[in-house]
Amino acid sequence: MDRTERILDLVALLLDAREPISWAELREHFPADYGGSDDAAERKFERDKAELVELGFPLTYVQGDDERRDGYIVDRDAYYLPEADLTKEELAVLYAAGSAALASGAFPGRDDLAHALRKIGFFAGESLPTPRVRMELGSVQAGQEKEVSARLEQLWDACAGRKWVELTYASPKHPGTTQRRVDPYGLALRRGVWTLVGHCHLRGGLRTFHVHRVRELKVNTARPRTPDFQVPEDFSLDNHVAYFPWQHRFHAPVEVTLRLSGALSSRAGGLFPGATLEPVEEGVTRARLPVSFLDGLARFCLTLGPDCLVEGPQSAQARLREMGARVVNRHADAQEDKVSA
Amino acid sequence: MSNVHERLRRLLFLVPYVSKHPGVTVEALARALNVSREDLLEELDLLTCVGRPPFNPDDYIDIYVDNDRVYVDLDQRLFAPPRLTAGEAAALAAAAELLRPAAGDALQGALQKLEKVLPPQVRERYREMYRKIDASTEAPQALGPLTRAILERREVTFGYASPGRAPEPRTVRPYELLSHRGQWYLQGFCHTRQDARLFRLDRMEDLVVTDTPFLPPPDARADVPNPARSRTDVSVRVRFSPVAAPYVKERFGQDARPLSDGGVEVLVAGDSERWLTQWVLSFGGEAEVVEPVSARAAVARAARASIGL
Repeated sequence: MDRTERILDLVALLLDAREPISWAELREHFPADYGGSDDAAERKFERDKAELVELGFPLTYVQGDDERRDGYIVDRDAYYLPEADLTKEELAVLYAAGSAALASGAFPGRDDLAHALRKIGFFAGESLPTPRVRMELGSVQAGQEKEVSARLEQLWDACAGRKWVELTYASPKHPGTTQRRVDPYGLALRRGVWTLVGHCHLRGGLRTFHVHRVRELKVNTARPRTPDFQVPEDFSLDNHVAYFPWQHRFHAPVEVTLRLSGALSSRAGGLFPGATLEPVEEGVTRARLPVSFLDGLARFCLTLGPDCLVEGPQSAQARLREMGARVVNRHADAQEDKVSA
Repeated sequence: MSNVHERLRRLLFLVPYVSKHPGVTVEALARALNVSREDLLEELDLLTCVGRPPFNPDDYIDIYVDNDRVYVDLDQRLFAPPRLTAGEAAALAAAAELLRPAAGDALQGALQKLEKVLPPQVRERYREMYRKIDASTEAPQALGPLTRAILERREVTFGYASPGRAPEPRTVRPYELLSHRGQWYLQGFCHTRQDARLFRLDRMEDLVVTDTPFLPPPDARADVPNPARSRTDVSVRVRFSPVAAPYVKERFGQDARPLSDGGVEVLVAGDSERWLTQWVLSFGGEAEVVEPVSARAAVARAARASIGL
């Protein structure tokens, strides 16, 4: 019998059973499948059982007593999806977010997500909201999305099963590629870029990898149901992946003060999320923020123009001026004088 | 995941779905399951062989197609889909992060309700897996009301600050929200400009969802213009140092021309001076406009202004 068919037969049998079903009975019911030697039949059933558990089938083995016999039984109440009583707005939000993630073409756990959306929509009938929210990853070249999507799916499985992966990685900082074995702890999305965070066996520590820079990826297939590693209790993805251009995951932060005027004054909160804001005068806002990557901040401030001034510390002022002077000097023939930083 | 696993998940949803929607068309069912018509018909064939021992006629799932519509007469207790697995719930919760914190209470409420319907043994695993994806995007506050306005088809008003100009009031029919490289945009019809427009959410202020209804066009899909990859009459040649070259090559692929010093050169659209200067400045001295001279001068001017010269 086809394996899919056999497992569905098992589902139908167990959902209907009022009494526990023993292994001997199962063998009788499926003589062609669970026949043969005892060992082989048991191993086959173990694999089928594991599949049932993966599907969310609440199967347990009960030891018999005076009232009932030994065997497998399923908790029906725990099997069926109950109505979650989501309000229209809650359903809309979940749908919008889920669909945006699916539409992006690259989201870890795409299959899981698609099934989840179907399930939460099951009780909604015809009143399912049509989501009009999209997400696009702008970081990858056209045509690369498929590859990133496939890698994310593999990494999601590896993260979920805690299996190590072997990857060929192309870092822009070094020519060529490196081979690494990594224990994948998790995946983070920042500004359209998916990052894998994990313990790198080559470097002997936590490292981050941009998923679009992974050239080849293999997940350890040995003992698929046994985890290869533990994720440290205190591990948090957020501590290892930078949100903003002025953040660096390893450097210590310094507080930088910015003076934002003109159109930037009212946008200060959006431009520098997390900064402490203080109105200075009409149309001028002072922003204080922890900066762990001065070059990133300097580049960002350069793009904002003269309405963004660095008030302190001196090191930050100097870095911005130095960087601005480099741009001016590279374009010097268009202006009269060279500038010294 | 294996094909068997995917197929089982699909089939355990298919039977209850048809049970709940008797007479659903083959096409609608295929769409709901995201499979082709042919694959669906194959699945239905397989299901007719599924049943429980002792396999008497009434022990089989009775599912059939009649006049291109699908019916199930005997569902063998498959009248509702299985609960969410830990992986499914975790993927959904991670996707929901995309709209946090904008969606606020609705999102929080939805996730709490979802967690409640997970079987206890799955809940712990869900919490563990949920920590493995972090897709939070610092969503702007306007995202929540705008999602609602799009859903309820109501016009919105807001002040919009175009670059270099003071905010001015706009009345807009909101069609679609789009996140591009972490930046959120609203696509809609602007009454003030009498044209379709793309607005950055971080430039909006004083957003109000009005009671004025509207009918959206059937296909209102916008693309974020990407000047770095588009071609216009005026092209600008930009050269990058060897330090920046690997990153530029990553984005431009074959279009990045290698230079003898290890740097690269690309051609980009030259119709927006503002975009060009910002883009070049964002490389902090590792990029240089080669030609035309006017673009070189614009970048130099902008850099001088930024450092107060």
